[in-house]
Amino acid sequence: MSLFLHYLSLPYLLEGIELTLQVTALGLGGGLILGLVLAWMQLSRFWLPAALARGYAVIFRGTPLILQMVFAYDALPHIGIKLPAVLAAGLALACNEAPFIAEMLRAGVLGVDRGQVSAGQALGMTPAVLMRRVIAPQAIRTMIPAFGNESVSALKNSSLASVIAVQELTLRGTQLASSTFDFFSIFFASGLLYLLLTAAVSAIQLGLEWLLDLDRTTRARRLADYLPWRRVDLATKLELSEKAPLAVVQPDVMPPARLLTRAERAKRAATIARNNVAVEVKHLHKNYGAQTVLGGLELTVRIGEVVALLGPSGSGKSTLLRCINHLEDWDRGTVRVGGRRLGFRDDGKRLSPQAVANERASVGVGMVFQQFNLFSHLSAKENVAGPLRWVHGMTRLDADRRACELLDRVGLSHRAHALPRHLSGGQQQRVAIARALAPNPSVLLLDEPTSALDPELVTEVLEVIRRLAIDDGLTMIISTHQIRFADEVADRVAFLSTGSILEEGPAHEVLTHPRHPLTARFLSVMQADKALEAVR
Amino acid sequence: MRKLLSREARQASLPWRSAAAGAMIAAGFLLPGIAQAAPAGCAALQAKYPGWKGKTLVNAVNPHTPGYEAIDPKDPSKYVGFDIDLGEEIGECLGFKLTYKPVTFAALLTTLASGQADIVISDIYATKERAKAADFITYSKVFDGVLVAKGNPKKITGINTSMCGAAAAENTGFVEVPLVQNLMPTCKAEGKPEPTLQLYENNANCIQAILAGRADTYVNDVNTVDQAVKANPDKLEKAIAVTIPYSVGIAVPKDKPEFRDAVMAALVEIQKAGIHMDLLKKWELDVNNFKEPDILSVD
Repeated sequence: MSLFLHYLSLPYLLEGIELTLQVTALGLGGGLILGLVLAWMQLSRFWLPAALARGYAVIFRGTPLILQMVFAYDALPHIGIKLPAVLAAGLALACNEAPFIAEMLRAGVLGVDRGQVSAGQALGMTPAVLMRRVIAPQAIRTMIPAFGNESVSALKNSSLASVIAVQELTLRGTQLASSTFDFFSIFFASGLLYLLLTAAVSAIQLGLEWLLDLDRTTRARRLADYLPWRRVDLATKLELSEKAPLAVVQPDVMPPARLLTRAERAKRAATIARNNVAVEVKHLHKNYGAQTVLGGLELTVRIGEVVALLGPSGSGKSTLLRCINHLEDWDRGTVRVGGRRLGFRDDGKRLSPQAVANERASVGVGMVFQQFNLFSHLSAKENVAGPLRWVHGMTRLDADRRACELLDRVGLSHRAHALPRHLSGGQQQRVAIARALAPNPSVLLLDEPTSALDPELVTEVLEVIRRLAIDDGLTMIISTHQIRFADEVADRVAFLSTGSILEEGPAHEVLTHPRHPLTARFLSVMQADKALEAVR
Repeated sequence: MRKLLSREARQASLPWRSAAAGAMIAAGFLLPGIAQAAPAGCAALQAKYPGWKGKTLVNAVNPHTPGYEAIDPKDPSKYVGFDIDLGEEIGECLGFKLTYKPVTFAALLTTLASGQADIVISDIYATKERAKAADFITYSKVFDGVLVAKGNPKKITGINTSMCGAAAAENTGFVEVPLVQNLMPTCKAEGKPEPTLQLYENNANCIQAILAGRADTYVNDVNTVDQAVKANPDKLEKAIAVTIPYSVGIAVPKDKPEFRDAVMAALVEIQKAGIHMDLLKKWELDVNNFKEPDILSVD
């Protein structure tokens, strides 16, 4: 025991820690930089960098670190690169860590909900802004545990530097054992030193998790919750999820918007007919392999007009909306918004993703998604205010003011600081609408905005949209299954089937007197459903 | 063990150590015959081979053999032993200083070949195979000891048929490895089980293998075996000493014949001055080890 304590406090061994840490730091730091490059190459839209990164990973992940150490130390000098031992060890460790870190980064990035990425693109975020503001903050949170693992493993792997004469902890331990024959005391001592180092890494990991915990602000979580033997018990979890949405008893029920009379409708139609064209879709073709998604679709929407897209699932409604703001590519045809071909230069050439993003922001096409797609790491207010600052360059003060105003308009000012996961589906969709409206879009696209909602939450969302249409005169294209809502809100209805418009016309007329048999059948099925529900 | 280790110790990794301080330590503690100054012929050698004067060279060692090269248990920042002293004497004679790079035994010559070290003085036997990777200046005869558990339960008497069926621990890259391997067909021919080989990274691990009952024997330089027995007198013993047809050599890069000749010439001077013999006595090594230097070089 006394021998063990003697070796535990022996300066010779303690000094070895410094080299161990140097090699580890070089390995992790270099690995992170190289890993970032590799992950970026793998996620690139070009095949060559992706293939190169793949090849690198195969080689460096597939060969033992000890060989890489010896290679960096003994083989590189033959081509004129003679690195000091610590640098050679750091280089080998970095090259070895890089593919592992790259895979972690890639998994983190790909793990971020695709819907949020679409939402960011629709808001006009460039790829860089999207990465920095939406993807990275969420990816980093999910990657911390894996990074903790990787750091501990790198720390232990640094002991392999002993084979290339780096006087780190392990090499010092073995030499000491050879000259003193106190084999076990020395190895227990150096084992404990490693344990202390890895414990420090774990502490840093848990500290970071605590620091970046989004729930920390909503509930006073104690540091003790992060201790390894502590589990968040089921009761606390339930309390967490229930407390938030029910905290305030629904002061957000809004008075219903008034309905238009037949005369008002006619007057409105006449006004719209004189307005300029807001969206013009011409001869739009799109195939997924052999399957036709859009087959020469034509659609013109005038400023102030509300068009409802009806039709069975898979009829191309969502794809059409996604093409209008160029979230998706198509094969043939043109789409013009406000007279501009979104995503193309004047000569018809494709724009880069960054240029498309800037154009989306300047043309102003807002989009509301079926799955809300709120940025889940941001509060309701930040979901609205953030894009205003990052895309439109507003000051924090102005953006916050605008966000508060819009949240108020959708009846959610009292939930401004809640995270999306603490809001009900209906509330989330209303925040999403506020977010889409914030930059004053010229056109708002709504992709089945109530389909993912529980029936009792549908009304509050439809109410918000109805007000936008009737009170604000916003140009909107809505894909929906809500026939009655379409009747009340839309000026015009277009019925889609297998990628083209079968029938379109004034909403009330088409819905009450469909001419095409498919439209009639669809409407009767939808109405039958309603009737059935009423009977129940 | 303690008794063995001289107070005279060399800095392991302090290239800035001044020659004056080194000389002072040497003058203070070495046997009178050795330390007065470098042998008289050295001045002439430095004039003849001026390329290394004032330089600091790297000596790659496998510091797991107390008596030859190991860290000083009292001051682990230093390496001590016969080979270390001999290297310092050669350096003093030719005017260079040495720093040390600890590597595994199997990596000694690789480290030299890659240029990460300039010289290897680490109880390495000069064989024709190894001479393909480096030139050797031989300086010592080889006597091996057979280390076994106390009482020699397997009755092993050397690298012969008594070792059939036994487990032999060896260092990766040691010359004893092929000797044990060559024994395998012999055992088979006599209808006995073959010996098994366990390869380890250093001496300490080989010795631990016997202590843990994993291996039955470990054949290595007799002094190393004696050291192990001294450290564990209740558990280990030396079965026998055997002669092995090799010499211990200093390894230098093949592409530096002038350096090889300079080291050889310095060694001759050191032997002439009696320093070599004094060092053997100082480290309690068998004086029969003494050997006049030869060069082993193959193409």
